Parts: sequence; C-alpha cells; structure tokens
Amino acid sequence: MDLLDTFNISGSGLAAQRLRLQTVASNMANAKTTRTEDGTPYQRRVPVFESETVDPFGDVLERNLAGVAVSGVESVAEFKKIYDPSHPDADAEGMVELPDINVLEEMVDLMTTARSYEANLKVVDLTREMAMKALEIGR
Amino acid sequence: MSTFLFDSLYSGLNNVLDLRSKQHALSAGNIANADTPGYKAKFIPFDQVLGDALQNNESVGMQRTSAMHIEGSGTLSNPKVEETEAPEWAEDGNSVVAEREMARLSANSMLYGAVVRGVSQRLAILRYAASDGKG
Repeated sequence: MDLLDTFNISGSGLAAQRLRLQTVASNMANAKTTRTEDGTPYQRRVPVFESETVDPFGDVLERNLAGVAVSGVESVAEFKKIYDPSHPDADAEGMVELPDINVLEEMVDLMTTARSYEANLKVVDLTREMAMKALEIGR
Repeated sequence: MSTFLFDSLYSGLNNVLDLRSKQHALSAGNIANADTPGYKAKFIPFDQVLGDALQNNESVGMQRTSAMHIEGSGTLSNPKVEETEAPEWAEDGNSVVAEREMARLSANSMLYGAVVRGVSQRLAILRYAASDGKG
C-alpha cells in the first residue's frame, strides 16, 4: 500500500464517472430515436458499478481498500407510447414507441456525475499534496 | 531502532504518518465507490487505535488468543477498519456520504501535514545539535 495505490483508486473512480457521463450523453442524444439496428426504439443505457478490492489477500487494510469497476452497461428495454400520427413510425392507431427516457432525470444524473468526478479529482489533488509534504520532511 | 538519535516520539510520529496515509487511501476508495450499490464507507477509528497504543505503550495492540475474545482495535501497523452502515432510507444500500468523506479527507490531510512538520522539527533539533549549535 502506498500513495500510488490511492492514485489508482481515484483513477478508477474518474474512469467510471466518465463512462457514466458517456451513457448520459448517449441517452440524451437518443431521447427520440425510434430506429436502431435491432428494429426497436433506442434502449436507455445504464452503467452498473461494482467495487473491486485492491488486494484480496493483503492485510486488514488492503482487503478493505476498493476501487470501482464498471461491471457492464445494461440496456433497459422499456418504451413509452405517445400519440403522434404524423410520425413515419406511427402504428395504425397513430401511436409511436419512444425510448423511456426522461430528459430531466438524465440532467440530474449529469450533475451528480460531474460532482462525483470533481470529488475524485479533489482526492487526486490532496494525494499529490500529501506526497509533496512527505518530500519536505527534513528540509 | 536506536533510541539514541531516534527515540519513541520519532517512531510514534512515523506510525501516525503511516496511519494517516492509510486513512487517505480508504477515503479515496470511499469516494470512488460513492455510486456503487451496497458499498459501505470504511474508516480507521483513530481514537481507538491510538488510545489502545497509548495504553499498551507499544505498537502490538491487544492480542487475541481465541476467536471468542473481544476484537481489539488492531495494531498501529495493521489497524482495525470499521464500516459505516447504510441508513434504511438509502435505496442502493450505499453508506458513503460525500460531505462527510470530503471533510474527513481534508482533516486527515491537514493532520498529516501537522505530523510532517513534527517530524521535520525533530530532525531540525538533531541537525542543530550535530552542527554544534551553529545550524
């Protein structure tokens, strides 16, 4: 265990939050997408996070240290139907199937993602600061 | 360790420095996992660990000879790590509170800086003595 491990942990957090940002961007961009390769409307993407122990065979502390890993990006196959007969993909009754994406919810997700990313960056800063302080010992 | 130049205060400061950097790594893990379902925030109970070390006047901590005994707070080099339970209203079972974690982080890094200063002072005194008081 050293300060470099801490950089790796914060790095895993930064990577996970950036991936989450990408899924939010994808969901927002495709909020009205009715056609995909599968023939269904776009399916909302959700990243699934999982904590990953740094060293499962280490001492008490090392077994408790955990970075974060993305165990997958899952698609939510839920759609909402709205009435819009002028839409080219409307069925006989004028109903169109759209992805079940709430832009407001995505916005909130976007903001919490940004805050989490900032928090991880702050930890990187503090880690660097502590390492610099340690280098000052004996000066 | 030699008790001539580097006494128990010096090694004590070193131990605390080590503990502080361990706590820093734990907080980094907590913040990285702020959105991981079921993750429990982890921390070193400093008051317990340091209090026990003070009472025992050494860094061995309380020894257990049977699993039935009460668990001690660990040693200074291998301290106990506690977990915060998630409140019932936390839907994803995650017990990381960003504010608490950031506060713990900055307090920890401030105390780390304080201990670094202590070690430096200690060394400055030695240097002063070694230079016949001219340093």
